[in-house]
Amino acid sequence: MQLERRPGESLRASAISRSFDGVQALHGVDLEVRRGEVVGLIGPNGAGKSTLVNVLSGFDHPDSGTVTLGDQEITRWTPHRRGRHGLARTFQHTRGFRSLSVRENVEVSALGVGAGPRVAAARATDLLQRLGLSRYADAPASALAHGDERRLGVARALAMEPRFVLLDEPAAGLPEAEVPAFAELVRSVRDDHGAGVLLIDHNMALIMEISDRIHVLDRGRTLAQGAPAEIRGNLDVAAAYLGETAVAEE
Amino acid sequence: MKRFADLQVLAGPAVLVVVAALLGTTVSVSTQGYFTDALVKVAIVVALYVFVGNSGVLSFGHISFVAVGAWTAGVLSVPASEKPAIMPNLAHFLRDRTTGNLSSLALAALVGGVCALIVALPLMRLSGLAAGIATFAVLEITHNLLRYEEKIGPGLNTFSSVPETTGLRQAALGALFVVVVAFAYSRSRFGRLLRATREDDAAARAVGASVYRQRLIAFTISGALCGLAGGLYVHLLPLNTETVYLDLTFITLAMLVVGGATSLWGAVVGALAVSAIDSGLAVAENGTSFLGWHIDLPAGTRVIVVGALMATVLILRPSGLTGGREVKLWPR
Ligand SMILES: Nc1ncnc2c1ncn2[C@@H]1O[C@H](COP(=O)(O)OP(=O)(O)OP(=O)(O)O)[C@@H](O)[C@H]1O
Ligand SMILES: [Mg+2]
Repeated sequence: MQLERRPGESLRASAISRSFDGVQALHGVDLEVRRGEVVGLIGPNGAGKSTLVNVLSGFDHPDSGTVTLGDQEITRWTPHRRGRHGLARTFQHTRGFRSLSVRENVEVSALGVGAGPRVAAARATDLLQRLGLSRYADAPASALAHGDERRLGVARALAMEPRFVLLDEPAAGLPEAEVPAFAELVRSVRDDHGAGVLLIDHNMALIMEISDRIHVLDRGRTLAQGAPAEIRGNLDVAAAYLGETAVAEE
Repeated sequence: MKRFADLQVLAGPAVLVVVAALLGTTVSVSTQGYFTDALVKVAIVVALYVFVGNSGVLSFGHISFVAVGAWTAGVLSVPASEKPAIMPNLAHFLRDRTTGNLSSLALAALVGGVCALIVALPLMRLSGLAAGIATFAVLEITHNLLRYEEKIGPGLNTFSSVPETTGLRQAALGALFVVVVAFAYSRSRFGRLLRATREDDAAARAVGASVYRQRLIAFTISGALCGLAGGLYVHLLPLNTETVYLDLTFITLAMLVVGGATSLWGAVVGALAVSAIDSGLAVAENGTSFLGWHIDLPAGTRVIVVGALMATVLILRPSGLTGGREVKLWPR
């Protein structure tokens, strides 16, 4: 079906601009995620990272520019159609299906992209185990702590067996001790499933460690992109973050 | 084990319907009418649950499909010889045709479902307040069509001469059928995806669920079940357009809300509990004695009490008597 492996296939945003009454959230941004790689997307608060994820996943439409998935232009596709074509995402401010059980949350996502009930149940068992959520399987999702809720969001996205996953700050609220396990999971999504991952996070150590490439946004523009080592040495990036730290401490 | 847990979700409501029916056999014939009526209400409220409960979108228009079902079954089952008297302007293709009880019910469901589908195609694009108001418009349109269009029914007249086949048994079987369909739907892929959209629209779309399509499916099934319930209703008592209009809309929504809109169990409990109160008050309005007391409540008490009950439940227990959860008959 639609999940066959096509290495080299990419999800691409080309010259995306988007403004919200006066605020230019994105300004001619180009970004590509290929299958089998992790792209880190970083930038200070308000840089336009979530807006870019919304444009890629169909929850927002760009004022100009195009989105392509493989060889198809999908700029005007609905979110659910993109989901069914192998594009998964998490939300920065998740709530999820609160009154449904944790297990049901994951099963429903598999059902949404066309899996049968048995397959959905099997994927849920597996993912809950891998994300350390098994013991909450029968609890309502609303009972989860913040960090667990994030992980449930990731489980929902992975249950779709996507070709591309956009993770919007999935590790926020995760205890420091659990970050390595999370990094391992992201790697396995890339290596075992051959998916392309776009990972937004403010945890620089995590981003530097697992990204194959890093893309830096600042005030809606691409500030820099390249391998982690290149980004680490980039003064502009440091300045953008110093600016942010100064703001955050006010 | 999962299957087992699932089964009690069906067993609870089904047992309740059977118990209500069995209780109905122990009372006098005149009191039995209240039980039969309550079971038809169960069918309507459970049909309403299929859409409202699973989607979280309120509908004020569902009684339209009950009305359409009643008209379908009614027009088709009045004996041909009596049609000219009560429905002089009936269209030709309806005038010469009479169907049996079961086929009239099946056609009522079919017509209810088709009407619901036609209405849903444009309406399910709306959400929130707009959707609620639009469904209300549907009720008004249907009401006026049935009231003034004499080619398809008795218009302002009452549906007399419909064979009264809905006794306790038919009402119970009908309610059970609706409960089983609602259960099957809510366990299906469609029901599960629709509940996900109810919980979080965006997250549901992200996992591939089309909110529009899922609501459309539920609305159509719900409309078909309402049509069936309307068929049961017209075979129970001689009704007219007023019987299937605002009061019925109000009381069935109250039943759903009081029981707990998000569960099948809530729908059945609400329908039976509010029916019991409503029937008791109806008896009292007509004057009765109870344990030696003479009770004679002023007309209108029923609606006031049911309205107050609904408001009270909404304040004290917003998710209904059952908390909107399914029943657990045996602990795991
Ligand atoms: N729906 C919206 N309406 C109005 N303005 C918006 C909207 N969405 C985003 N913005 C604005 O666009 C800019 C980019 O926001 P965005 O959420 O994409 O940033 P971000 O990089 O994800 O930031 P953070 O790190 O805080 O999550 C901000 O100035 C924000 O206020
Ligand atoms: Mg953001």
